Parts: sequence; structure tokens; C-alpha cells
Amino acid sequence: MHFWQDAQFGNRMITLMAALLLVLQIMMVTQRWLITSIRSFALQSLLLACIANTIAYYNNAPYIYAAAALMLVVKVILLPVHFERLAKRIEVHQEIEPLVNAPISVITAGLLTLLAYVVAEAFHRPDERVGAASLGHNTLAVAIAIFLIGFFMMLNRRKALSQVLALLSMENGIFLAAISLTYGMPMIVEVGIFFDVLVGGIVLAILVHQIRDTFDSMDVSRLSRLKG
Amino acid sequence: MLILLLLSIPLLACGLTALVRNRRSMEAIHLASAVVSFGAAVLLAGEVLRQGTVSLFNGFLFADSLSALAALLTAFATLACAPYAIGYLRREEADQRLAPSSDSHGTDALPKLRMYYTLTPLFVFCMFLAVVANNLGVMWVAVESTTLASIFLVTFYGRPTSLEAAWKYAMIGGVGLSMALFGTVLTYYSAHQVLGGESMSALNWSVLVAHAPQFDKSVMRLAFIFILLGFGTKAGMAPMHTWKPDAYNEAPIPIAALMATAVLNCAIYALARFNALTALCLGPAFSSRLLILFGLLSVGVAVPFILVQRSARRLLAYSSIDNGGIMVLGLGFGGPLGALAMLLHMTYHTVTKPLLFFCVGNAQQHTKSDSLRAAAGGLIHALPITAPMLMLGALAVTGTPPFGLFQSEFMVLRAGFAGPYMGVAIVLVAFLVAIFCGIFHQISQIVLGPPRGVPREPNCPWKTVPVVVLSILVILTGFWLPAPLYQLIDGAARILAVHP
Repeated sequence: MHFWQDAQFGNRMITLMAALLLVLQIMMVTQRWLITSIRSFALQSLLLACIANTIAYYNNAPYIYAAAALMLVVKVILLPVHFERLAKRIEVHQEIEPLVNAPISVITAGLLTLLAYVVAEAFHRPDERVGAASLGHNTLAVAIAIFLIGFFMMLNRRKALSQVLALLSMENGIFLAAISLTYGMPMIVEVGIFFDVLVGGIVLAILVHQIRDTFDSMDVSRLSRLKG
Repeated sequence: MLILLLLSIPLLACGLTALVRNRRSMEAIHLASAVVSFGAAVLLAGEVLRQGTVSLFNGFLFADSLSALAALLTAFATLACAPYAIGYLRREEADQRLAPSSDSHGTDALPKLRMYYTLTPLFVFCMFLAVVANNLGVMWVAVESTTLASIFLVTFYGRPTSLEAAWKYAMIGGVGLSMALFGTVLTYYSAHQVLGGESMSALNWSVLVAHAPQFDKSVMRLAFIFILLGFGTKAGMAPMHTWKPDAYNEAPIPIAALMATAVLNCAIYALARFNALTALCLGPAFSSRLLILFGLLSVGVAVPFILVQRSARRLLAYSSIDNGGIMVLGLGFGGPLGALAMLLHMTYHTVTKPLLFFCVGNAQQHTKSDSLRAAAGGLIHALPITAPMLMLGALAVTGTPPFGLFQSEFMVLRAGFAGPYMGVAIVLVAFLVAIFCGIFHQISQIVLGPPRGVPREPNCPWKTVPVVVLSILVILTGFWLPAPLYQLIDGAARILAVHP
């Protein structure tokens, strides 16, 4: 049997790529260059599309190819290109000092990963046969970790565009959970979610532009006039 | 077919409005679409009463009593807002508040009007889709779309503060709904092991509800926590409520009224569906406790902000947080009584809240200020129709007898005392009394008092007729609820009050 027909090999590949996803997410936590953040996000989405393809190949689930294709179009090409153009047009390159500095951010990300493993442990059933459940354990932990770190990044960042990227990376975590646990949601839901992500990304980009025009800054900590 | 009609009318209105050139035809399309969709919602409710459930496209679209009730309430709120929006926006145009911000010399209000009249039907379409989608994933997509459709309605005036409000709305809503999506994925996972994968119907409510007791329990527990945080954010539950006062303060009045009624209903609707699944799977105690915690917290958070509030619209936003909390508490107390109380509260609240928003909008356009302090009383002399109705609405929304909200709040309390949650119910009574005092005090301060020498507002029927009609309905529903409507509410309560 060739190694590319071995389901065990597929699982290892998926775990490897999931680990890379997590590394990219932690890199994004400390990244201060906006363009690099956008490209890390695009790379993360590309890896996610590869994971989806691998799962589709080893489990004979052709409709996951469609989800991977949507991922490729929306999150690897359309949104990152759109964001890069926006970042160039409004001439912002560097994130101002985040609320928590880089070393503490990385430690926080590590702790959140630990927490994710604790939560995912509850779903680990070693006695079940190879399939969604056995694949789920490790990748689910990574998915929850990406989700939590994305949430932390959102709180930590002050540039509007960085917050949007953090929100989208949280969505990447959910996508990973969906494909690794259940081989993707029903197709119609998948299409709807990507449509929402695309429209949401564009709407938020317009909003970022308006904020930049009005406040002459993308620093959302200036948005603090409404109280009570 | 009726479901399709209900969904296609707002979309059609959205497309047509984008094409027409003058204001008058935009207004006509807007009004006509609101009237026709209300008609469609009433017919759908009738159909559901006769047949039990209506489904279309192999069960992709599906309406039971709960969906029909939520669609009816959304259509009602839209119908109430449509004529008011026409009067409101005409006045804003006359006051030159709609000029495009980019070129200061232009006074053409048409781009903003077109934005309002195209986005509002789209917003309504998303809410209709949320309640008639059988698939819980599609329901999530529709609820998320309501946020996307309404972001530019929150930034309608283009002020720096509206951008801030829209940013908060988009970010807090975005995080919240991504949690709800995670919850939906986990629900699918817990059902997946029972139902098998890949089928289109594996996330359909009608399928899930039949198999809920066999779902994976530990996954369902985690799923419900995410769902509660997610749709709770959309409903404005404390502590995720902070976007709500800002968004209500910055959006145009009819949109704020829609958000306070129809969007709140949609979020509570989604929460109620998932709550029924969770209760079937895990027994009622787990989700009840969480719902009661968040519900009581929301009512409690509203109290201090209502007591010291300076802006009338933010006051209404906190009142909406409080009412959302009461609905969630009703759901949490559970049993047939709790579910019925929740749905009655939803119905009465949908009738009452737009009245308050419209009155506050009229007052705001008259005094050119939203502040409760700047108005300094005497409104009753300048606005002889609006001001007394504002008083009436304030009494109704705080649950004063004989209005409908009194009955539903009383039922929520009864459900609380009947179950093991007597302490919660006692605290709730204290909160409700404090909220009554706060709202009554604040509103009477601006309404009553000697005349301030401001000329009387010229009467504009577009702005006063909805107020008068809604007040009549508020009084009427206090004494009499049409029998078919009650039947519909009762049917919906039976869906929610599950017995595992």
C-alpha cells in the first residue's frame, strides 16, 4: 500500500498542518506589521483549505472539496487582497503598542492553548474507531485554541483592521472544528457562512475606511465618547 | 407558498427601491411592501393554525406556531415603522440632517433616503429568513446577516459617534455570533453521531427535535453555553449588552424600534429553539439555571442605568435590555407557564416598544435634543398628542396594570414562584419596582411641567397616526387578545415547554 492511501498518514498530515495553524496564530499575536498579519492570515486560511482537501481525499467526501474551494476564494484571495489594498490606501503599516506586550501575549496564548486541550479532553474517546472522533481530539483542541487566541487578539489590538483580522481568525478556528469533527456542515450552511464572511469582511473594511476618514486614525481606543 | 411570498416581498422591495429615482415612489414601495408582508404573515399564521406546520422545498423552509408567531411580530413591527419612517425622514430632510457628509454645499438627501429604503427591507428579509429556516445553520446565517444589513443603518447619520456605535455593534456582535456558530457546529457534532453525516437535514430543527434525547450529552452542554453567549449577545443580555444603548442612540428612530423589537425577538427565538433541544437532551435544570443567571443579571444591570440616565433613547435601550432579561427569565423558569409567559411578553413588548420610540422620536425632532435634562419638561403643551402617549407607553412598558405587559410579567413571576426559584422571583420584583420608578420619573420629567414658550409642533399625520394607532392597540391588548392570536401563542408555548 502506498503511503498516500494510508488513512493514518492522512491523519498525521492533518495534525501537522493543524499544529502549523496554531503556530501561525501565535505569530499573529506578536506581529506588529499589518501587511505581515494579513499575509499570515492568508497563509493560515490556505493551510486550512489544505486540511479540508486532505480530509476530503481520505474520506471520500467530495463536497468538502467545495468548502475548501470556497475557503480558497474568500479567505485566501478576496479578503486578504482587499485588506492589503485598504492598508496601503490608508497608509497604516504598523500596529501601535498593543495593550499587553509581546512576551506576556505569548504566555497568554500558551495558557489559552492549555485551556483548549483541557476542554477538548472531555471529547476524547480512545475506544472509538478511526474516524471523526479520533481525528477530533487533537484538531478540536487546536480549533478551540485558535478561537480563544483570536478572541484574546481582538481584545489586545487597537487598530481597527487588526481587530477585523482577529475576528476572521476566530472564524478559522470554527471552520477547523467543523471540518475535523463532522467533515463540514451541510453544504447550504457552508455556502451561507462563507457568504456572510465575505460580506462581513467587505462591510467591516468600509467601516474601517470611514473611521479612518472621520478620526484620521484607525486607533479604536479613540472611539470612547459613548458612555452609560 | 406563503413562506416564499413572505420572503420575496422584502427582497423585491429592496430591488425596486434601488431602481427608482424619486422619493415619493421609494416611500410608496416601502409602505406597500410592509402592508403586503404583514398580510402574508397573517395568512401564514392562519395556515399554521389550520394545519399545524407548513413546509416548503422538502422541509428547507418550515413554519410551526413559533415561527409563525415570530414572523407575525416582525411583520407587525415593520408595518408600524414604515409610515412613521416616512414622516420621520421627511422631517430630518427638512432639518437638513440628511445632506451627504462629503460635499458640504450639497443638500441632496436622496442617497441617504435610498440607503434607508433599500437596506431596511433587506434587514427585514434576514429576520423573516431567520424564523422560517428549518436548518439551524441557515438560521445562524440569517441572524448574522441582520447585523451586516443594519451596520450602515447605524452609521446612517455619519457622525463620529455613529461610527463608534457601529464599530461596537459590529465587533461585539461579530464575536457573539461566532460563538453562536461554534455552538451550532457543536450541536451538529452531538447530533451527527446519532443521525449520521452528510445529509442536508441533519441540522433541521424538525429532525433534531425528534432525536434530541440521544445526543452526546457532554458536547451538547458545551454547545449550549456557546449558543447562550452568542445569541445572548445578539439579544443584548448583560454583560454583552454594551453595544445596545449606543446603537439605539445612533440609528434612525424606526431602525432603533425594529432592533428593539424584531431583532430582539429573533435572538430570543433562536435561543428558545436551542434551549428546547438542550432541555430534551440534558433535562431542563442545566439550561434553566444558565438562562436565569443571565436573565436576572440583565434586569439587574438595567436598574442603575435607568435610574441615572440622561438620554431618552438610551433609557429605552436599557428598558429593552430589561425586557429581554424578563423574556429569558420566563424561558428559564420553564414549564408550560414560563414558556407561555415569555411568548406573551414578547408579543406585548413588540406592540408597546415602537410606540415609545416613535414618541421619543417626535419629542427629539421637536426639541432638537435627545437629552432628558435639556428638554426640562412641558412637552405636553408643545406636543398635545405625542406627550400623553409617551406617558401611556412608559406606564405600559414598565408593567403597570391594566396593560398587557403587566399580565405577562405577572405570569413570569408566577412561573418563578411555582418552581424552585422563589428567591430569584423576589429579587426580580425588587428590580421591576426600581425600573418602574426610574422610567416613570424620567419620562414624567420631560412630559409634565409648565409650558416653556416653545411654539406648538405642526401636526404631521405620518408621525402622529402610528402613535395614536399603537396607543389604541396597547390599551386594547391589555383587555383583549384575539382568540386566534392566543391560540398561536399557546401552540408556540407547547413547542417550547418540552417534557423529556
